[in-house]
Amino acid sequence: MTKRNIILSVDNLVIKFQLRGKVLTAIRGASLDLYEGESLAIVGESGSGKSVFTKSFMGLLDKNGWIDSGSIIYGGNDLAKYNRERDWLNIRGKEIAMIFQEPMTSLNPLKSIGKQVKESIQLHQNLKGKAAKEEAIKILRDVGIDNPEKRYNQYPHEFSGGMRQRVVIAIAVGCKPNILICDEPTTALDVTIQAQILDLLKTLKKKYSLTTIYITHDLGVVANVADRVAVMYGGDIIEIGKSEEIFYNPKHPYTWALLSSLPQLGKKGEALYSIKGTPPNLFHDIKGDPFAPRNPKALKIDFIKKPPYFHVSPTHKVKSWLLDPRAPKVKPPKSLKLLRYKIGDDLDEK
Amino acid sequence: MLGYAMKRLLQSLFTLLIVITIVFLLMRMMPEEGYFGDGYEKLDEEQREAILTSMGLRDPLHKQLLNFYKQILRGDLGKSIIYRPKVSIGEILKTKIPYSLKFGLAAMAVSIVVGIPLGIGMSLSKDSVLDKLGTIYIVLINAVPAAVYYLFLQIYITGRFNLPILYSEHRPLSWVLPTISMSLGGIASYAMWMRRYMIDEINKDYVKLARAKGMRNRNIMMSHVLRNAFVPMAQYLPSAILFTIAGSIYVESLYSIPGMGGLLVDAIQRQDNTLVQALVLIYSSIGILGLFLGDIFMAILDPRIKLSKKEGAR
Repeated sequence: MTKRNIILSVDNLVIKFQLRGKVLTAIRGASLDLYEGESLAIVGESGSGKSVFTKSFMGLLDKNGWIDSGSIIYGGNDLAKYNRERDWLNIRGKEIAMIFQEPMTSLNPLKSIGKQVKESIQLHQNLKGKAAKEEAIKILRDVGIDNPEKRYNQYPHEFSGGMRQRVVIAIAVGCKPNILICDEPTTALDVTIQAQILDLLKTLKKKYSLTTIYITHDLGVVANVADRVAVMYGGDIIEIGKSEEIFYNPKHPYTWALLSSLPQLGKKGEALYSIKGTPPNLFHDIKGDPFAPRNPKALKIDFIKKPPYFHVSPTHKVKSWLLDPRAPKVKPPKSLKLLRYKIGDDLDEK
Repeated sequence: MLGYAMKRLLQSLFTLLIVITIVFLLMRMMPEEGYFGDGYEKLDEEQREAILTSMGLRDPLHKQLLNFYKQILRGDLGKSIIYRPKVSIGEILKTKIPYSLKFGLAAMAVSIVVGIPLGIGMSLSKDSVLDKLGTIYIVLINAVPAAVYYLFLQIYITGRFNLPILYSEHRPLSWVLPTISMSLGGIASYAMWMRRYMIDEINKDYVKLARAKGMRNRNIMMSHVLRNAFVPMAQYLPSAILFTIAGSIYVESLYSIPGMGGLLVDAIQRQDNTLVQALVLIYSSIGILGLFLGDIFMAILDPRIKLSKKEGAR
């Protein structure tokens, strides 16, 4: 990857929530540099903090959550310090937009979809009345809705799930953002529609020169769309690198485990691989490597000291003691070698 | 929309027809004393038969039913027998309904004007002092029997502020307490439902998306949440308005307002068959009309309704 501008820089972010009288630490010192124009995928299992992490870029944390420390630098400002709605209104939609995973419920059922798309255009593009409507129709056409003039006046219940997700995308893109965060954009859709939506997102990314972040636990989606992959576990990014690096040369035992559970690697007649144990309890302090308790080959130090980032290449870094020169050589599971054949096509296509 | 309205209208008319028939049949099962008035004891069997025959009550049942339909179609509700002998029921209602309507509508206006903003305020500042006070009020009003706080108001407040204890048509001050009494319950229920529907809506995904696209919280509330929260409330509004004519038994008798409040109970106790029949008919027609208007109102506000009804298995 050629050296590109950093558009968003997160440093040592800690996010906490107040829950039933106890404090939960959802993000534990995560750092991330997002490059302009790239497509980054954040993967991890439920509860790893991937959604919370990206919601904090837009001030969309739930009311009981807050940024405890760290910074989110965007356009020279530290978003982590924002606490008034007025500040966030300059970011939300206009600079960073987000689409959610629930296309069936993400639209107001009592407003025509045209009005809902127009709302975001009026907010961010200084257009009014007829001009805004025309722009809305244009964007609806861009996201692949046939006959947008007629569809403009229809209501969400007259759209299928895939079509609704297109409308949600139109609303996000209608804001003309720089960064588009897609929070599991295809999870609720069936497979053929998934592929269409991903293609659409890729097309729009080019057309509107967007920087995109995909949050997903579907590694198939990742291979399809992402330039870079960040693997989250226990509220931190434990490995990040270019897609090829993560898929063909993963270094963290958790990444190994995650990739091993891809259904593509399963053998007919055998149970799919699954990671034993449960994610760490976020109410407690985590000592050492958060994945250590579930890692059968964990080293002693994994339970004692949190690993720093070790650089595998200029673009690939890992938080695992295995990369320390003193560590024993532990090989990744053999089955991962098959990945090149199983999903290589998706990766090369890009 | 028009198709849906027509369909709903036909359904309502059909329901009404069934109701009229049932009311007719039930009334024919009542003791026949109710048709004679005070002189019942003095009449012998033959005289009674003669009177019943003259009233058409000895005709075959289907003929009676047909006559009953015709009478209703003419808008004739018959004459009272015991309550005010020989006075047409329409006449009786004409003197009573305005009182109940006046107080009912005033109380409803107060309930809506106070209750709905209270509910909105409570939902927007969930768990705040306002929300807690409001909840205490709602629980109190719902838990304490209405008679208790009606009496409290009448006895304590009239003494304290020197307000008249009984209603009098020419002293507007005497209208205040009955109106307040009648609206206390309404305020509680409007606030409770409004709060509940608002919170339902605020937690929906489309609010998240609206926020993510950069809408002001205030605008989200105004143009998305408030309207959507109103829809489920709207359904009951027409019924609530129509039923104000039924009056409030408690309040009207406490302040001696000559309204509709106790009329049905009175008529039943005194076995005034035709009056009971007319009142039951009126109240059930109002119920049917209220539901019909509510559904139409909903269909105007919620575009999903036409479709889901049409696709339904009915």
